[in-house]
Amino acid sequence: MPDLVELPQGALELLILKAISLGPLHGYGILLRIQQMSGDRLEILQGSFYPVIYRLETRGWISGEWGESENKRRARFYRLTAAGKRQLKAESERWSDMTGLVASILKVAPGEL
Amino acid sequence: MSTFARIRTWWNALAHRESVRQQVEAELEFHIEAWAEDLIRRGVPRDEAWHRARAGVGRADTQSEKYRDAIGLRLFDEFGGDLRYGLRGLLRNPGFAAITVLSLAIGIGATTAMFSLIYAVLLHPFPYAGADRIMNPVLINEQDPSQLRWFALWRPQFAEFGEAKCIRSLLGFRNKSEELSGKSLPEDVQAVYLTENAGQFFGVRPLLGRMIEPSDAEGGGQPVVVLNYRFWQRHFQAAGDVIGKTLELDHAMYTIVGVMPRSFAFDDTTGVGDVYLPAATLHETPAGLRFLIPWVKLKRGIIASAASAQLNALVHAFARQNPQVYPKKFHLALQPIVTPYQQDTGRALYLLLAGVLLVLLIGCANCSILLLARGAARRHELAMRSALGASRWRIVRQLIMEALIISFAGAAFGVVASWWLAELPMHVARNSFPAESVIHIDLPILGFSIGLALACGMLFGIAPALRLSRPDLAPAVQSTARRIAGRHGHRRLNALIAAQAALTLLLMATGAMAIGAFLRVTHIPLGYDPHDVLSAGIMTHFSDAAEWAAIESRSSRTAYFERIRQQMATVPGVLSVGISIDVDPPYGGSEQKFELLGRSSGPEQDARILEVGRNFFSALRVPLRSGRVWDEVENQRGDGVAVVNQAFAERYTPQRSPVGQQLRLPDLVSHAPLVAASPSSSGFRTIIGVVGDIPNDGLGHPVLPAVYVPYTTLMMPYAQYNIRTRGNPLSYMHALRASVASVASDQQISRGASTLESELASDPQWSRQRLFSILFGSFSAMALLLAWVGLFSVVSYGVTQRTAEFGVRMALGASRTHILWVAVRAALLSAAGGIAVGAITELFLSRMLAQWMNSRSAGAAGLFAVIVLFAISTIAACLMPASRAASIDPCDALRYE
Repeated sequence: MPDLVELPQGALELLILKAISLGPLHGYGILLRIQQMSGDRLEILQGSFYPVIYRLETRGWISGEWGESENKRRARFYRLTAAGKRQLKAESERWSDMTGLVASILKVAPGEL
Repeated sequence: MSTFARIRTWWNALAHRESVRQQVEAELEFHIEAWAEDLIRRGVPRDEAWHRARAGVGRADTQSEKYRDAIGLRLFDEFGGDLRYGLRGLLRNPGFAAITVLSLAIGIGATTAMFSLIYAVLLHPFPYAGADRIMNPVLINEQDPSQLRWFALWRPQFAEFGEAKCIRSLLGFRNKSEELSGKSLPEDVQAVYLTENAGQFFGVRPLLGRMIEPSDAEGGGQPVVVLNYRFWQRHFQAAGDVIGKTLELDHAMYTIVGVMPRSFAFDDTTGVGDVYLPAATLHETPAGLRFLIPWVKLKRGIIASAASAQLNALVHAFARQNPQVYPKKFHLALQPIVTPYQQDTGRALYLLLAGVLLVLLIGCANCSILLLARGAARRHELAMRSALGASRWRIVRQLIMEALIISFAGAAFGVVASWWLAELPMHVARNSFPAESVIHIDLPILGFSIGLALACGMLFGIAPALRLSRPDLAPAVQSTARRIAGRHGHRRLNALIAAQAALTLLLMATGAMAIGAFLRVTHIPLGYDPHDVLSAGIMTHFSDAAEWAAIESRSSRTAYFERIRQQMATVPGVLSVGISIDVDPPYGGSEQKFELLGRSSGPEQDARILEVGRNFFSALRVPLRSGRVWDEVENQRGDGVAVVNQAFAERYTPQRSPVGQQLRLPDLVSHAPLVAASPSSSGFRTIIGVVGDIPNDGLGHPVLPAVYVPYTTLMMPYAQYNIRTRGNPLSYMHALRASVASVASDQQISRGASTLESELASDPQWSRQRLFSILFGSFSAMALLLAWVGLFSVVSYGVTQRTAEFGVRMALGASRTHILWVAVRAALLSAAGGIAVGAITELFLSRMLAQWMNSRSAGAAGLFAVIVLFAISTIAACLMPASRAASIDPCDALRYE
């Protein structure tokens, strides 16, 4: 089993937005997709997962609707709103800028300065 | 971030609480199931799969709370909890709740009432559209700037005036006394003729029908009439179907087209109209009378001073055409229509507002004191909360929430009470306020009282909250609630008691001063007997050519007025009847220069000139000091005789009696169209008598030197009758009207006939002092009551808490007096300190206050009386609950745990 990674602050929101951007999902589905996308290297604390979903919905980035799950049960499906798409784009850019910057600093070898 | 999405979420969570909770739970249930099934599919045993899924996700039934927290409703939910807890706490202590809420209700009610009065009288008194731009143009005589004059415009001038650039619209009006004919006895009505733009100028929606409209000017004036609200109530019993009926005025028929609402009482300064008529219907015979008084509505954004400069030029041009009716040197000033009320009433109202704010402060102090006192009893509870992990901020919030609950409950009661409290001053001193002012509690006033409640809650809640939120954990939790001997928060409590006592004393001293001033005004020796005397006016029908011809000459008019006087005197129960012109004690006459023969006339030789009939003195019971009053023949001649008052004799002829001296009134002449002057009205007169002084410049002012001359000297088109009756003079009105009609069937008695006693009561000085004394008297009573309740509760609380301690003290041999002293010491000493501080402050303030209230200070005696009264009630408030402490049985007290 690969090593587990802990998520930094704010990353979970971004991942949830990304997961939903590929198509509407219910809560459990989001969780599965994130794990799948991470190659099972991420384990998300389930207790903190839903409050993040609620917050995203309150901000109007995602919207939830009741629908039917693959095994014929009532489940709440979330999809990205227009505002959510904008947020995902802006936030992904910010994230890659930051990681790129941090990575480039870390690459600096002694004597290069 | 979309605000809309947030509001929608909140709205759902608040309005559909239960359904949202179910959805949140259902979602989580689904999650648990899906996960468990996944695990089972992967080969985990069924029971363990469910167990793991549940443990991993958490309980569904607490998820709703997490949801509300996540969407940002936590603070709201906590406040809701505080609110419910606070309410429950108050309901558990109904006595405490009642006293605090009532303390505030009194203060907030009185303050709201005073504010709504100020709002109605000074800030928003008139119902007219754009009332702040409506100006009353007055002429200011530059030789005598204190004398303001209305000014009249003749029709052609009126049109020219209305074209001035600064004027948005111009209203012209004229008051005229008319006869309501077609009934068994003629009756007087005050008619106000309005230019036909009146409806648009005032912008007040009529209660029924319509206002005067431009079309009413067509065809020489349409015979239509609009009724004043009060007239409509009096004459038509507020019937809803008056529109279309007719009203007979001066024997002409008018169709009623509208009724104005109660708030419309145009015009309070020249006389509120009973009926409003189109100005085009005003056909008066002497052409000189065809004038209108203007009211100006300025265009938006035009400053009054700029507008006055513009209009000033116009009016000076008019004055060049018609110099005799304008003062020699004058300028025009635009006076906002509220000005006459602001000058006197404004100051009085702000003073009263200060008074009610003091009451409110005392009420707040009361609440603070009670909260602190009760806080001592709650220390156990608060310490427990703190020990269980409540932060200080959380406890402060809880305590302030409780204070706010009290203050809002108080405000609710207060606003209800203010409804009729606000009407009180208007009943007490009716003529100090514009007739239009109608008190109603509306939005700005509600906003004011809500703000007030918030401010009060913070004010009285914050100190106890800060004090109580820092409990000493260990001893408080260990001991039981009751055993703690009160040392806590005592400094603050005592300071509050002292401050409250000081404020109360200050208010009581002011109340004593107001009452004293009023008593002085009512006990001034008047010099005449105002009881059971009616003052009734007779206005001749000078605009009716035929009637006027019969009484136009001086002698015929004298005979006419005398006949009416004799007829009145025949009414059974009428004791005597006098005639006067413009004499309404405590006012009367006008200031004029005079010359005494054989005495160099100094520059400041003025006297009040009063025109009266020979029976005036006997009707009012004014004593004759020396000489005699003129006889019937001299009365008809008018010239050659005069009577002076004692003030005149003392000021101008101190050495010898004035009787027999010669005096001349050079300004006693008139060329006015309706006045018939005697042949040598300004010639020399012999002083034939001296009468006692009666006030002629208002109450509270010294009596001015006065010269009485026969009323026939300058014969006016009207006369005033002073009728002394047996019993209430108003009950003779019908008989008097019949006696007048027996002389001339169309002659009515003017409206507003009133008793001399009510004239006295409407004197501004008299009514203001009465208002002050009643209101400040009740403020001090409220303050005293509040302070009393506060002290009583503090001592009661102390006694309850320290019962066990008193038991121990008694068991150890303390005497009952000692226990009594221990129980009241702190409260009594602080109150005494407060009284001292209050008395010293009062000594400093009293001079200034007396000046504001237009009266002398109550002096040491008044202050002393107030201190004694307050001290006695303080001692009573402390001793009553403390005596319970002293009568405790030590055995019971020790068992009292």
